[in-house]
Amino acid sequence: MKKLQEVLRDWEAVIGLEVHTELTTLETKMFCDCKLSHDDEPNTNVCPVCLGMPGALPVPNKKAIESIVMAGLATNCEIQPRSYFYRKHYFYPDMSKNYQTTQGPVAFCMHGHLDLEVSGQGAKERPDSTVEKDAQGSYVAPIRILRIHMEEDAAKMVHVGGGEGRIGGASESLIDYNRCGTPLIELVTEPDLRTPEEARLFMEKLRQTFLTLGISDCSLEAGSMRCDGNVSIRRRGTTEFGTKTEMKNINSFKSLHDALEYEICRQAEVLEEGGIVYQETRHWEPSKRRTVVMRVKETADDYRMYPDPDLAPFDLSDEFVQSCRERVPELPDAKRDRYVQTHGLKRTDASQIAGDPAVARFFEEAITYAPKAVQTIANVVVNLVPATTAVTAAQVASLSSLLAEDAITFAQAREVLELVDGTNDDPQKVVDERGMRQSTDTNALAATVEEVLARCTDQVRQYKEGNKKVVGFLVGQCMKASRGTGNPKLFNQLLRQRLEE
Amino acid sequence: MANIDQLSARQIAAGIAAGDFSATEVARATLDAIDVREDGVQAFLQVSADLALEAAAKTDARRAAGEELGPLAGVPVAFKDNMHLIGTRTTCASRMLENYESTFTATCVQRMICAGATPVGKTNMDEFAFGSSTESSAFHRTNNPWDTSRVPGGSSGGSAAAVAAGEVTLSLGSDTGGSIRQPASFCGVVGLKPTYGAVSRYGVVAFGSSLDQVGPFGRSVEDVALAMNALVAGGRDTLDSTSQELPVDFVAQLEDSAEGMRVGIIPALMEHEGLSAEVRAGLGRARAALEDQGVQIVEVDLPNMASAIAAYYVIGPSEAFSNLARFDGVRFGYQEPGCATLAEQTALSRAHGFGAEAKRRQMLGAYLLAAGVYDKYYYPAQQVRTLITQDYRNAYQSCDAIMLPCAPTTAWRFGEVSDPTQMYASDLFTISNNIAGNGGVSVPVGREEGTGMPLAVQLQGPAFADHTLLRVARAVERGIAGTDAFVPGTVAPAFVGKGGELA
Amino acid sequence: MALTQDDVRGIADYARIALTEEELEEMCAYMNEAIDLLQPIREYDLEGVEPTFHPIGDLSNVMAGDVQNAHGRSLDLDVALSNAGAKQGRSFRVPSILGEEGGDR
Repeated sequence: MKKLQEVLRDWEAVIGLEVHTELTTLETKMFCDCKLSHDDEPNTNVCPVCLGMPGALPVPNKKAIESIVMAGLATNCEIQPRSYFYRKHYFYPDMSKNYQTTQGPVAFCMHGHLDLEVSGQGAKERPDSTVEKDAQGSYVAPIRILRIHMEEDAAKMVHVGGGEGRIGGASESLIDYNRCGTPLIELVTEPDLRTPEEARLFMEKLRQTFLTLGISDCSLEAGSMRCDGNVSIRRRGTTEFGTKTEMKNINSFKSLHDALEYEICRQAEVLEEGGIVYQETRHWEPSKRRTVVMRVKETADDYRMYPDPDLAPFDLSDEFVQSCRERVPELPDAKRDRYVQTHGLKRTDASQIAGDPAVARFFEEAITYAPKAVQTIANVVVNLVPATTAVTAAQVASLSSLLAEDAITFAQAREVLELVDGTNDDPQKVVDERGMRQSTDTNALAATVEEVLARCTDQVRQYKEGNKKVVGFLVGQCMKASRGTGNPKLFNQLLRQRLEE
Repeated sequence: MANIDQLSARQIAAGIAAGDFSATEVARATLDAIDVREDGVQAFLQVSADLALEAAAKTDARRAAGEELGPLAGVPVAFKDNMHLIGTRTTCASRMLENYESTFTATCVQRMICAGATPVGKTNMDEFAFGSSTESSAFHRTNNPWDTSRVPGGSSGGSAAAVAAGEVTLSLGSDTGGSIRQPASFCGVVGLKPTYGAVSRYGVVAFGSSLDQVGPFGRSVEDVALAMNALVAGGRDTLDSTSQELPVDFVAQLEDSAEGMRVGIIPALMEHEGLSAEVRAGLGRARAALEDQGVQIVEVDLPNMASAIAAYYVIGPSEAFSNLARFDGVRFGYQEPGCATLAEQTALSRAHGFGAEAKRRQMLGAYLLAAGVYDKYYYPAQQVRTLITQDYRNAYQSCDAIMLPCAPTTAWRFGEVSDPTQMYASDLFTISNNIAGNGGVSVPVGREEGTGMPLAVQLQGPAFADHTLLRVARAVERGIAGTDAFVPGTVAPAFVGKGGELA
Repeated sequence: MALTQDDVRGIADYARIALTEEELEEMCAYMNEAIDLLQPIREYDLEGVEPTFHPIGDLSNVMAGDVQNAHGRSLDLDVALSNAGAKQGRSFRVPSILGEEGGDR
């Protein structure tokens, strides 16, 4: 098969995503007061409503409605005050009523958008001719969101007797209704994504946004955030959509990217050999790095959708929407810009910190302890903290101040952080106890410099002859002479001063 | 001492409070009456003697402890078998649920028990409430106490018959297209279908979720009013998203004079072919009784009522298909043994668990909701529903209630009406009220010449004016009583006094 | 354009109701008869008429608080499984889904 970049020169990929997110941070299910459970024993948290027992009736969870409205506001959607829940019928026992309660043509949130900043290697997937890129080759891709609607999740089924718990060949299946009725929001994008990288970035941005809203733990691995990708390709310059295939079983950002990459290349191969792409659902196999057919869709399913008579219509008031708006916290993009503007952070560091609410909270706590060392704190948070298990913001602040005043080197900082990780020790104390603090007493250092210069006459001559690089060697000598207590930067300065005389 | 079938709900509650007799004695007398009369009526699918005696003992203990008793203390009540009560099966008269044990108790049942009532059992019905004669019960027929060769009406036939035969003082039924009012009229008892939302549907197996409404049967308007007080006490049910508060006392104004009230009649309807002369005569009798009490009769029109049947047989089956989809033999209900695949198990469990009419309604609904068909039938039917609702709103500008027949005829003989669509047509007078969601009540007004079968009129009222509706119903009852055509509290002659002596 | 037996067979497959050939014939006749009864609906000019999906007046925005088991309804395992035709351990059990389509969504 051809490589993606090669394929995308002749073909344009048209990608749309359907993202399901469980509102895992709620206490109860969507239409009953059963506990939301993730790892409880099968059928522990069930009641007549979520088991679909005859006579049971649904009542919507107010907090879930608030959550989806917040999600809509955070993704620039229009909030629709008037909407209904619908019944979507299909006979399958993971839905205890044999219909799913979802929304109809009008969802709570319609017509939103997110702008993606695509940069670095990933930006190369998109041929330069097809988008305006800046000097660094980065570009912005505006992605429209069709809708976000509220629905309920299905039960978990375990297929017994088949290979790898797959449904094929299974002799029977076991059903656990704990998850049945879990509040689920489904976001559907317009087919605006053009590369696997854009799709991956969209998912990442969506995850960052939902995490910041605090409406879900957004775990792709655990399945609380799930993504289906629809992809078709068409010849560059043409406008008609090709036949699309739907990608399932995507449980990581990498899978999303790789499955789409594979599928784009596969479709291109099929079409270039004069074959036909069938509208079908395909299953991503990460181990084999390929997609395989799950099911061919000849005709569109007929779900017999109609407004659920058991649920009163929604007519959300301005007050309701406003109260949700007030609860939308500072979102990643705004946070990133603030970090850049008010703290002068590097844009990449800023967005990395702002992207994860936990990291952002950690960072903002740390800078309260050491306001002067903000950039250094950002540097440490981005480059050193990820490798640790349990360091506190206070420790990072104290360590960063040491770095900021050149009392230790970055290499020492990593070492110190490892030492205090999981303890309450203050890095300052550790540095002093271990005599790691480097001398910044110029008189003392100057003496060492003189001693070294006197010794290394060859290197001094080489320097005067123009080989400035030997300073590195001389600094090394000074460090050795001072048994590592001297500050290399200062040695460097003093050496150059003397040599230039 | 008195026979249990001669006592009103109020008399029973008062007698127990006064210590004239105990709730346990009442429960025993009731179980005795059922024991003796049930062979002839077959109103029950299950008699819950233990639950009854247990509840009665509680009531007696409360009295002994000097606690205040509920307004229905010790009053024997039966529940249509589509209402859940822990400790009983809930079968909906279907093989599908033949062994289904209630896992919770319906709000309406709970509220009757909270008011002190004694639950004595579950009554027969058309399977899943699909029918007008109770003949579609998967288990047995129920006989009309006034003539056991005739149907009790339906779908709440068992609940109506049990009250008419004096087996219980009160019962609950559900009404989706007339299933309380029509059997009440066939059995000569009072049956109220309250405004949609007035009584919680939680725990009542759904047929047509936007049409179903629970209501009481009694041998007098006052008993029905007492039951309504119990059902609305406690305000709206937070477990039913469509339930609404109806904070009124149904008994308070019952005896107020009806003078000056306006009752509407629909002349066009009176001329409807198929409306029997006797039923028409019954309406005339009720009209006279009302006019004697200073009620003003005004002519109103419901121009779109003719389309009510069509709208109903779109909405009803569609919602029924959807509501009955959950019966797949997996979590509950009949499961076909020895199936190799889930598809086979589901299709055969449903094929063999459901009776013919249940399958017909679901098939029709599955068709009507299909893509393309939905826009031809379901959506327009809901638009016509808007027109019918407006018709009623306009009519109630000029009257407090509308009087019309319950059914074109009195109770027919078993097997007489066998064609399903012919059966559907007999719902003509009751259905439009479910479409609009308003309240309606059936009141006995006498007995048919020759057959001696009960005659009744139906009164319909505006939304959430069910207490006013009962006031008009009481006026009819009072007036008719004066003419000796029918005495409130009357038990079907063939059963009155059989067993049920209060020891 | 009356429903053919094939149409009705298709609906029965969708509705998961197995019908014998004889039942299919009866069902087809019934459905066409029933659909005739519905024709008045199609003779209306309903331009601009809003549908009434819920006969509940202005009632809207009915919601409940996010409080665990506020109504004490959650069921013990034995009760939850008590009406099931087939169970295994703590789970409901169904036969092989092979050939079932509903599985993929």
